[in-house]
Amino acid sequence: MNKVLSLHDAVERHVPDGVGLLAVGGMHLHNNPMALVREVVRQRRRIRRLLTSPCGAFNADLLIAGGLVEEIATSYVGFEHLGLAPAFRRSVEDGSLRVLECDEAYITHGLNAGAGGLPFAPLPAGLEVSDVWRANPESFRLVEDPFTGAQVLAGAPLRPDVALVHAAEADAAGNAVLAGAHFVDRVMAMAARTVVLQVERVVPTEAISRHPVGTTIPGFLVHAVVEVPGGCHPTASHGHYRVDEDHLRRYLAMAGGAEGPRAYVEQYVRGSSEADYLEAQRALAAAEAHR
Amino acid sequence: MSRDGGRTNGGSPTGPATGELMAVELARRLRDDDVAVMGTASALPQIACRLAKETHAPDLWFVAGGTCGVNPRLAPAVPSCCDEDLLRADTAVPLSDVVLLEGRGDVFTVFFSGGLQIDAHGNCNLVSVGDRTRPSLRGPGTVGLPFLARVGRVLIYTMAHNPRTFVERVDFLGGPGFLDGPASWAAAGLSGGGPAAVVTPLCTLGFDRETLRMRLETVHPGVTVQQVVEATGFELAVPGVVPETPPPTDDQIAILRSIDSGGLLRGG
Repeated sequence: MNKVLSLHDAVERHVPDGVGLLAVGGMHLHNNPMALVREVVRQRRRIRRLLTSPCGAFNADLLIAGGLVEEIATSYVGFEHLGLAPAFRRSVEDGSLRVLECDEAYITHGLNAGAGGLPFAPLPAGLEVSDVWRANPESFRLVEDPFTGAQVLAGAPLRPDVALVHAAEADAAGNAVLAGAHFVDRVMAMAARTVVLQVERVVPTEAISRHPVGTTIPGFLVHAVVEVPGGCHPTASHGHYRVDEDHLRRYLAMAGGAEGPRAYVEQYVRGSSEADYLEAQRALAAAEAHR
Repeated sequence: MSRDGGRTNGGSPTGPATGELMAVELARRLRDDDVAVMGTASALPQIACRLAKETHAPDLWFVAGGTCGVNPRLAPAVPSCCDEDLLRADTAVPLSDVVLLEGRGDVFTVFFSGGLQIDAHGNCNLVSVGDRTRPSLRGPGTVGLPFLARVGRVLIYTMAHNPRTFVERVDFLGGPGFLDGPASWAAAGLSGGGPAAVVTPLCTLGFDRETLRMRLETVHPGVTVQQVVEATGFELAVPGVVPETPPPTDDQIAILRSIDSGGLLRGG
């Protein structure tokens, strides 16, 4: 079964406008499926609720910068050692973006609950002393432990309508290999109704089946495979390339200014095809290497 | 950790930088039988763990959350906890398994924490300053800090020692310290041991056993008690005699610089 689609077609077919819960994979500035994210911004798909891994980064901030996100369920959106996330920060501070406050435990166990059809995810004792669950009554409840009678915290299952996930490689059927760290990308793929994979390269099935236990997402969960070499730029792709901190600093400078992120979005995303964007970045990197 | 602010680059070109002294101070608080875990922006505690392993605590285990490399080599240390270089390590665990084991409560003995706000009882806040729904400053979010309630010892570090960071009470309680003090701490009955120390560019702090409030332990070389008091936004317990933080040994500095060969702690 051939699930390979162009970037345009994958987003057009699988990310409906007004998508209920869209999950974006990768963590901090690593393995963000940026080509898919940029295409969602180009096609102006509005997102009713966005879900990040325990640490969202440019993936979430660019969707917010594109004016597409109504609510976000997250435990972190930031640029780690590079600074705060400008679009996220501005939109929350001006009240235009509602945050469903989560923590790492809930995102991870909530996705597991989604993947396993569990009615909810009971959470370890002690997590109820934090303010997280009080700030997000929609996702958390205190319930009685049926075995001990104790009050325990429970989180609603997380079932993304669509997950955008990066993998190093996959075959045409969607059997995917994650190079480097898995973060929670496997769990996110298992919990989602529709999985769109962005890969560095599509490989023959024999390359996967030679080492089947190395397959970290089985093709039967995957709906589309999009080959975009370099597509995680400016975030890192484990096994392939590192973070482009210069580019991210340019984004932070542009988006953090009084004008906000609009100019960046126009110049690098809506005003540029993915091929042109990546070609320009490659040319810049080559020029930098020659200096 | 943040590389801005210039404070990481204190000290003379050959003497220990402030960041290096902080790494040594954290390392001194790690034991041979510890299993430590850390997350976002944790280059400083990763370096501290590696230093402890290569000096007084060879059997220490540490997990660099994000990639979840176990006992990463560093050399060089890297600023992101999700950097693939952290998989140059003894082994690696999927993040979802680390989150599962953080819940077990008897696996990890040390958890490193920090915050936009850190309060008198050691509670940490990375979410927001002011009202959460219309904050004056929106931070990134709480990540795994609620797990502080379940861990043996919490070691807090920050590169920002000023009255905006060190506040009487956090605006949002993400990472629990001693909550509102002895009564609420006892009532919560948490399995964790609470915060053990706070290491800043100015000093090292502990907690008063009676009040469970932060208490000055040592001031770093060149820093006065008065400076620390003025940089702290709450009434800090100050004992009659405050010694100077012991300087790193030449050996510690040499090992530290082989681990942090890129000079992250020296502002590189």
